[in-house]
Amino acid sequence: MARAIWSGSISFGMVSIPVKLFGATESKDISFNLLHATCGTRLQQRRWCPTDEVDVPWNETARGYEYAKGQYVVLTDEDFERLPLPSKHTIELTSFVEEKEIDPVFYERSYYLEPAERAEKPYALLLKALEKRNLTAIATITIRKKEQLCALRAHEGTIMLETLFYPDEIREERGMELGAIKVSDRELEMAFTLIDIFRKPFEPSEYHDHYREALAELIEAKLEGKQVVKAPAARDNRVIDLADALKRSVEAAKKEAAKPKPPARARTRATRPARRPRKVG
Amino acid sequence: MSAAGTVVSGVLEQLERRQPKMVLTVDGYQLAVTNLDKVMWPGAGRSRPLTKRDLLRYLTRVSPWLLPHLAGRPIFTTRYPDGVNGKSFYQKHWEKPPEYARTVRIYSSHREGDGEYLICDNLPTLLFLAQMGGLELHPWFSRVDPAPDARGHGVTFSGSEANLEKSVLNYPDFVIFDLDPYLYSGKEGKGEEPELHRKAFKRTRELALRLHEMLGRLGLEIFVKTSGRTGLHLYLPIVRKFDYDAARSIAETIGRYVLQQWPKEVTLEWSVPRRTGKIFFDYNQNSRGKSLASIFCPRRHPMGTVSMPVTWDQLEKIYPTDFTIHTVPGVLEENGDPWAKVLSSKQDLDALLQRQSA
Repeated sequence: MARAIWSGSISFGMVSIPVKLFGATESKDISFNLLHATCGTRLQQRRWCPTDEVDVPWNETARGYEYAKGQYVVLTDEDFERLPLPSKHTIELTSFVEEKEIDPVFYERSYYLEPAERAEKPYALLLKALEKRNLTAIATITIRKKEQLCALRAHEGTIMLETLFYPDEIREERGMELGAIKVSDRELEMAFTLIDIFRKPFEPSEYHDHYREALAELIEAKLEGKQVVKAPAARDNRVIDLADALKRSVEAAKKEAAKPKPPARARTRATRPARRPRKVG
Repeated sequence: MSAAGTVVSGVLEQLERRQPKMVLTVDGYQLAVTNLDKVMWPGAGRSRPLTKRDLLRYLTRVSPWLLPHLAGRPIFTTRYPDGVNGKSFYQKHWEKPPEYARTVRIYSSHREGDGEYLICDNLPTLLFLAQMGGLELHPWFSRVDPAPDARGHGVTFSGSEANLEKSVLNYPDFVIFDLDPYLYSGKEGKGEEPELHRKAFKRTRELALRLHEMLGRLGLEIFVKTSGRTGLHLYLPIVRKFDYDAARSIAETIGRYVLQQWPKEVTLEWSVPRRTGKIFFDYNQNSRGKSLASIFCPRRHPMGTVSMPVTWDQLEKIYPTDFTIHTVPGVLEENGDPWAKVLSSKQDLDALLQRQSA
């Protein structure tokens, strides 16, 4: 299993249950690195100070809150330490509610809670109790310096922790007024009929990210077709024989020429370098 | 005197008249030229400032050698309407090309449509470009004429990118390398490009000579010219069997090999700070629509230096500022063009490499 992102304990009444927190979901989005289109080198992010015209190392950075345009109040690490965050290493249970009382809009991220060593017993007890009563615990937890509201619920033999948005993080304004619109019974009947046709149990496995699959295929095809932008830094340290290397290069080019080409658009963007930034020679 | 010679001397005679503007008669066409006494190059050291009249004279005199190298090639130009110290812009398309200019419609993915491109294959067009302040000429490495080595490739260049890719304009005549020294003299201002100096040129020349020797061992004959600024341009003329993508991958293979052989001397890095102290071996210009400053093309150096082809023997003795718009016509009239045979020295890479393995 992945590394725990947090460890501490669930605190509830006199009971304390040491636990570890693991992310329950992961985004499978294909991520890209930003390259310099003209040469294929991966771009670096720089912390650049335009005043001193220097790259700034981490130990020279500070966190500023912009209270007015261009005006900052600076907070130090000590300032952050002094903040009242009682739940820093604890998940403080404050109440128990029914799951349906929590509207899905509040759910932010899901985590699995695992018992730490020798905490299996109290963990199992809490899990059982939540299952039997069919209740969800509301608590607070501090993850990465941010205190968050969360809900603990039993799910297939594990306690899950769902971080929740605070009510003031949910947008109220919706800019739509539907009260005045009249809907006839016949229209409603028709809608019901349609719904009934499509009604079936929720099977998450039936759903795929078609875009991601297509993207993965495209990447695969590009790798096959050798239309790969190589970073200049990726040095090949083997001693190459120029004649051999050229021969391979020429053979690859001939193979490429024999193949039907993918749409010109996509190809040129990826492989053709743009005009060089500054011409010296 | 040949017909072309008569045209050249006719234009030179007209330019002798001291008027600041005139209507030139060039090969039967009328061409208005203006601001003839405007200084285009300020001069440096003992060299005097050079005017637009000097530019027109120069281009007229070298045209018998220059025009064959531009034939059939779409051309871009860097215009310096107020001389090399003024602002400049890169011009690719001409909305209203003059009647005597050959043009070609080419699809541009950038414009998402066709554009009118100029081909400079006669003297009036060359002088028209000079009149527009177009000092630097950037011809494509591919050309519109399939004969003799690219018959069978398409000659439709407009309508779509696919048409252009199938066409002969997608098949370059050369694999090219631009050796660009990032060797600073130390006298440059902050953020300035490295200036030309003896030590840097010596190192660049040595790299070129080694590359020449190395490719020579594979039976490949490469041509060299000064860039007219700090570097050297190397051209490997090839039979048009390979499109730009292939030419670039061949160039990249050679680039990586060169880097491996001389890692302390050469860089393929894109970032300018990382190139510092090394010679940038630029193979990235092997791409459709990319170009280098043409052979015999005047450059943005105060002395009016020119990109000059030399033989490999000569390379050991020359220095880029030997070749200016003053000196080059004389050199050409005396010795001819060392690159005259560049297009008849085409090499069939495929066949050559097959032979290597045999």
